[in-house]
Amino acid sequence: MLFIQLLLQGLQVGAIYALTAAGFALIFGATRVFHFAHGSSFALAGYVFIFAMQAGWPWWLGGLAATLAATLFGIGVFWFVYRPIQRHEGSFFTVFVAAFGVGIVVQNLIGIFAGRGFASVDTSLSRAVEVLPDVFLAQVFWVAISVACLLFAALTLFLTRHNAGVALRALHQNPDLLRAYGLSSTRLSLLAFALGSALAAPAAMVTAMTSGMNEAIGHQVMLISMAATIVGGVGSLRGAALAGLMLGVAESVALNFVDTQWAEAVSFLVLFAFIIFRPSGIFGIAQAR
Amino acid sequence: MIAYLTNLAALAAIFGILAATLNVAVGYAGIFSVAHAVFFGLGAYAGAQIALVLVPDALVAMLVAGLVSGVLSLCLALPALRVRGEYFVAASLGLQMMATTLFSEWKTVTGGIGGLTGIPRPHIFGVEVGTLPLALAALGLILLATAALMRGAFGRTLRSIRDAESAAEALGKNVAAAKALAVAFACAGAGVAGALFALHMQFVNVESFNLDQSVLIMAMVIIGGTGTLLGPLVGAVILLSLPAGLAFLPFIPATEVGAVQQMVYGLAMTLLMIFRPAGLVGDLSRGKSTA
Repeated sequence: MLFIQLLLQGLQVGAIYALTAAGFALIFGATRVFHFAHGSSFALAGYVFIFAMQAGWPWWLGGLAATLAATLFGIGVFWFVYRPIQRHEGSFFTVFVAAFGVGIVVQNLIGIFAGRGFASVDTSLSRAVEVLPDVFLAQVFWVAISVACLLFAALTLFLTRHNAGVALRALHQNPDLLRAYGLSSTRLSLLAFALGSALAAPAAMVTAMTSGMNEAIGHQVMLISMAATIVGGVGSLRGAALAGLMLGVAESVALNFVDTQWAEAVSFLVLFAFIIFRPSGIFGIAQAR
Repeated sequence: MIAYLTNLAALAAIFGILAATLNVAVGYAGIFSVAHAVFFGLGAYAGAQIALVLVPDALVAMLVAGLVSGVLSLCLALPALRVRGEYFVAASLGLQMMATTLFSEWKTVTGGIGGLTGIPRPHIFGVEVGTLPLALAALGLILLATAALMRGAFGRTLRSIRDAESAAEALGKNVAAAKALAVAFACAGAGVAGALFALHMQFVNVESFNLDQSVLIMAMVIIGGTGTLLGPLVGAVILLSLPAGLAFLPFIPATEVGAVQQMVYGLAMTLLMIFRPAGLVGDLSRGKSTA
């Protein structure tokens, strides 16, 4: 029974990871920017949601504010940090270091203004009930799973049916050709950052309702998203989402065999193994090294 | 006051070693490791155990620490040979996270979160010595070795790999061996710094060897200037004196000094990357291709 409980727990965590990882993969795939400040979008959205709920806003307004915060932050980082660096042809590492700096600043700003330690939202959704003998499930589990599925369906439709979505995929495959066809790669990159960052908001809200936020959570979320993107195969949203789900489940189920402290290391062990033995990931195309 | 300054100087020398050796990997070989604190930690635990269990001889501790870190640098060289760019950064991040867990959980060797305490003062052949002269001597030696290596054929090979790996390979350079050697040199240096750190602080725990520390060392190299001999030292001194300097500013509440300090260096990293990617000491025209 413990195993089933851990599996369900893992699915819930995995759904959150899948959403953030898909956002990161969308941005990285389309713009080739290693958006290391993605975790900050997540943290900001979570805290905005917590503050909105504490101020007594209705949940949908809080959700809207959180999504807006994440989206604006993503766009802002692209516009004020990544774009100037890319203009003078900075390499990926320049971008990485700058993004890391942004992450540190956001983490400490949250620490100063929202206080350090855990903060969470109290809802009746997170109250667990016994669904099977010895297996407890809160309603938020269904919320997490259905929100993740819904968003993926919408995202897939957008990327395959809508013109802008198709253009985003084209940007990933051949930015020069895209420009030759008269499309603006800057405008599309903005779209990628807006969409990718917005995907982190629902994940942050679910986290705020379940395990709670702390000021360093952006870091952890970022590392997991990055791991999922690489394990899933760069350029494959499906891969990133699946790998995110997998990492969540692996982390949780590992508790059946090892102590809690080792759970986090499991994800990175998987990542490390993939980089050494299969750098192109599950769904990735073999890349020239 | 003198004791305070000596302490600061010794720490500056130790972090100078860390930054200078990381610079060999980042600045010369183009291997962007975010796991330097792992090897710093390995050296520190090795040195501390030598001093605690065997003899408190600084030379033995430093030698063993350098060897342990140098041999285990294979963990980092392996992904460095397989992948490049973002993938390698991700691999080194993974290594860093695994090592942090290992450091805090392998309690028999590392003492866990509580760390190792009561590390004896350093001796050389039975005579007690201060850590400052030791650290300065080690720093000088490592800088000399770096300068000599980088000016010679090995340095040219490394820089050619950094700038155009395929071209270097086409010209018959053994890319794998050169990369592995550069990583081993950098990590062994970090190990030596670790042993010095353990002997200096007389206490080590996992807090000094986590991702934040790796990023701090990385920031020293980047802010100072990659691929230059003096840049990393400048970066180390600036970032180490930052907390001391901020502590004297009256308008920052004492509880927030740590956060403000972190924000200052985060902001410095971001702004420098936007406006001066080659670092403070680096050459601007060359920085574009290297940083």
